[in-house]
Amino acid sequence: MSLLEVADLSVAYATKNSPPTHAVRNVSFSMAEGECVGLLGESGCGKSTLGTALLRLLDRPARITGGTIRFDGTDITALDENALRPLRWRALSTVFQSSMNSLNPVLTVEAQFRDMFRTHTDMTSGEIRRRTAELLEMVLIDPSYMRFHPHELSGGMKQRVALALALALRPKLVVLDEPTTGLDVVVQKSIMDSVRTLQREQGFAVLLISHDLGTVMEIADRVMVMYAGSVVESRPAGEMLHPYSRGLLGSYADPRAETVDVTYIPGRPPDLSRFQDGCLFVDRCPVALPKCATEKPPLAPVGDGLVACHVAPSTKADFADSTFVRSVRAVAEAPPVLEVTGVHKTYTRRRTSVTAVDDVSFALRRGRVTALVGQSGSGKSTIAKLLTGIERPDTGTVMFGDVPVHRLRGRAMRRYRKDVQLVFQDPFAALNPVRTVRQTLVRPLRNHLGLSEKDARARLESLVDTVGLAPAFLDRYPHQLSGGQRQRVVVARALAPEPSILIADEPISMLDVSIRAEIVELLDRLVHHRDLAMLYITHDLLSARLLADEVLVLNKGTVVEDGPTIEVIRNAQAPYTKLLLDALPNPPR
Amino acid sequence: MRYFLRRTAFFVITLWAAVTLNFVIPRLQPGDPAEAIVGQLTGQGPVDPDQIRAVRLMLGVPDTSLLSQYWDYLGSLVRGDFGISYTYFPYPVTHMISEALPWTLVLVGVTQVLGFLIGTVLGAFAAWRRNSRFDSFVTLGSQFVGSLPFFWIALLLLYLLAFLAGWFPDSGGHAVDVTPSWSWAFAGDAIYHGILPALSILVTAPAGWIIGMRNNMVQSLGEDYTRLARAKGLSVRRVALAYGARVAILPNVTGFALALGGILGGTVLVETIFDYPGLGRLLMEAVGARDYPLMQALFLFITIGVLLANLLADFLLGVLDPRVRKEAA
Repeated sequence: MSLLEVADLSVAYATKNSPPTHAVRNVSFSMAEGECVGLLGESGCGKSTLGTALLRLLDRPARITGGTIRFDGTDITALDENALRPLRWRALSTVFQSSMNSLNPVLTVEAQFRDMFRTHTDMTSGEIRRRTAELLEMVLIDPSYMRFHPHELSGGMKQRVALALALALRPKLVVLDEPTTGLDVVVQKSIMDSVRTLQREQGFAVLLISHDLGTVMEIADRVMVMYAGSVVESRPAGEMLHPYSRGLLGSYADPRAETVDVTYIPGRPPDLSRFQDGCLFVDRCPVALPKCATEKPPLAPVGDGLVACHVAPSTKADFADSTFVRSVRAVAEAPPVLEVTGVHKTYTRRRTSVTAVDDVSFALRRGRVTALVGQSGSGKSTIAKLLTGIERPDTGTVMFGDVPVHRLRGRAMRRYRKDVQLVFQDPFAALNPVRTVRQTLVRPLRNHLGLSEKDARARLESLVDTVGLAPAFLDRYPHQLSGGQRQRVVVARALAPEPSILIADEPISMLDVSIRAEIVELLDRLVHHRDLAMLYITHDLLSARLLADEVLVLNKGTVVEDGPTIEVIRNAQAPYTKLLLDALPNPPR
Repeated sequence: MRYFLRRTAFFVITLWAAVTLNFVIPRLQPGDPAEAIVGQLTGQGPVDPDQIRAVRLMLGVPDTSLLSQYWDYLGSLVRGDFGISYTYFPYPVTHMISEALPWTLVLVGVTQVLGFLIGTVLGAFAAWRRNSRFDSFVTLGSQFVGSLPFFWIALLLLYLLAFLAGWFPDSGGHAVDVTPSWSWAFAGDAIYHGILPALSILVTAPAGWIIGMRNNMVQSLGEDYTRLARAKGLSVRRVALAYGARVAILPNVTGFALALGGILGGTVLVETIFDYPGLGRLLMEAVGARDYPLMQALFLFITIGVLLANLLADFLLGVLDPRVRKEAA
């Protein structure tokens, strides 16, 4: 008998004012004891909702609208809270996304173990303390941290504490919902290593929910892929058959290769408030048949797994039309537009000072992309601030031709800002939600180019055209656009004053993997057609390889390695670069 | 520990600033009380220069330098010497204040703390049963009541319960034939007189705390740690109190400290309406009679009271919220 059996489960979010969103649609699957199943999918596909439903933690307006969940022989679909309580944590526990918030900020670590032990066991205070210490040691945290409050721990430590907490009563199933998202790659890796080791030792089953393909493929015995609320594929990690799964896998590549190609999936996911006939992926699928639009494919056995697709059994889909290819190319020498020499920046706050940038020098040239690669806290964003003149270096110079950026003020600074523009990380926060695209784009044209309202408006169509948007988008509000479309608007806004330098701060990290390559392609095209100099800031070596001609690897404010991208990636010398390379996902294709 | 030291140091500095302002501001005003009295006298006929001198001497108008005045002023503060009240001559100001202080302290202290507790508990319940009928009733009700001016409620209560129904006395802190003493009879009488003023404060006082607590707690209940507490299988009580309410109450404690200044202003109105023998009414009288020494001492007392209450609230927050202790250290 399997540990978990989900049959025909559906979950809907029903609010008064809008039609219900059917976030999980007739999902059926089972998990064996001790099995590690990865649940993959992009944001909005219903994977977290499914995980929450299994834990019976759904809050209104979400509720289970059909189907059953059987856990360890008991039907828990409609069990009330009192009947569930003995099962909770003893048999079924969880680790939430590391959003810094899964531990109570006003209780000590020990207290958060204690209340759980008090609820489920008769252990004495001394026993609880001993067991807590044991558990913390298990996840490689010194037991003295018991007395600390969550805000005194780092993000990685908090997530380790959460893991120790989840395993405290030796549960049969642990649901890990994006357990390492938001943590630095090196920390991510060490936490996932801990999960794996402990799983082998203790034999609990794991449902690993993640959008991070690499991690899932590496750890899971079996991978389930969700799209638009349904499971479209389920099989042992390896080659995938469903066109959507293949599209996701295509967004990864080995950055060491001579020619790197990554694919994106055109289009966007369907509206989940409607039911449509046929396959939900049909509009984005490169190999769709006429019957895909009318006949819903069942989840049927193909090869060593299950797949819901009419085409997959016979044809392996590829996304040749939506592939971004990057080979090694020769770059002509160009004179530098911006030269950074020996900059230093130290932040002082209440007697403690942090050196954010320590003796960094580089140059940006026209038609070339320079990547700054490093983890959070490595000084990448501070360098961007020094370049835009938002911060001044303590020592060192930033020269834009013969203009000393590090000394500019007032009107001269305004003039300089026309030449250096930013593309932000979060396209959801970078646009004013109450302004249409047209209103957003007219501003920089008027402010920086001094155009009249009429002249500015006349330019808009060609402006949105350069970022691949139709003129109809000009009258939309940000909430009517997808993440990728918003990011295109952000790029258009940056291009509006016709800058010579573009600073892109993690422009793709907030986007779904299936559309990242699309934005990379856009940026690449712009740099070459408009002869821009670009500083590309990222934590991810693969995207640096795709876009950048040269790369600087930053660690704790200093450049540990630099040179042409392909050289740095192939012959990494610095241990830190090697660490970053190891952390890259490299799923089988 | 450092947090508490810092807060205390901050308290001492603000206290000094308040005391100094209390010294400086009256001296920046044009004219002086002696002139006012002389002016009144001139209305009745010609004034003898000796009379003017006598008035000045009686009031003690200083002729020394500002610095030595300041020094003397600090010295008399330390000795508790605030001068003699004009209106209640020959009683010293301190005597008048010490007569009125207990009345206000009990009335305002009890009603505000009670209002805070009631508001916080109701708000927490409303958040726990979010979108229930109880929640809508409490939330809408407190928004409505909170928008009513409370002197109006006081007048309404006075009219309905004291004047029309005659259930409660319409003025005073105790009956005329009862002398203040440490006896049950007096305590009962004082409480009986205090009910209406207390009620008029209590009607509106919880409204703000209800809305604040409800909103904070709706948020803390939606946080991951609360979901995790439910997943841990903790009892409903533990989830609601230690995870939901425990975090949500923190901004309310800060709000309470900030609200104290405004509360004292309201006390003046309530005490005047009910002719209640507290600091508020005393202040009203002092202002009406231009009793400068009394006014000055009252302002200083009120400032010190608010500062002390703030210090206590800071200490309480330091105990309740480990993050605050860390930030200040």
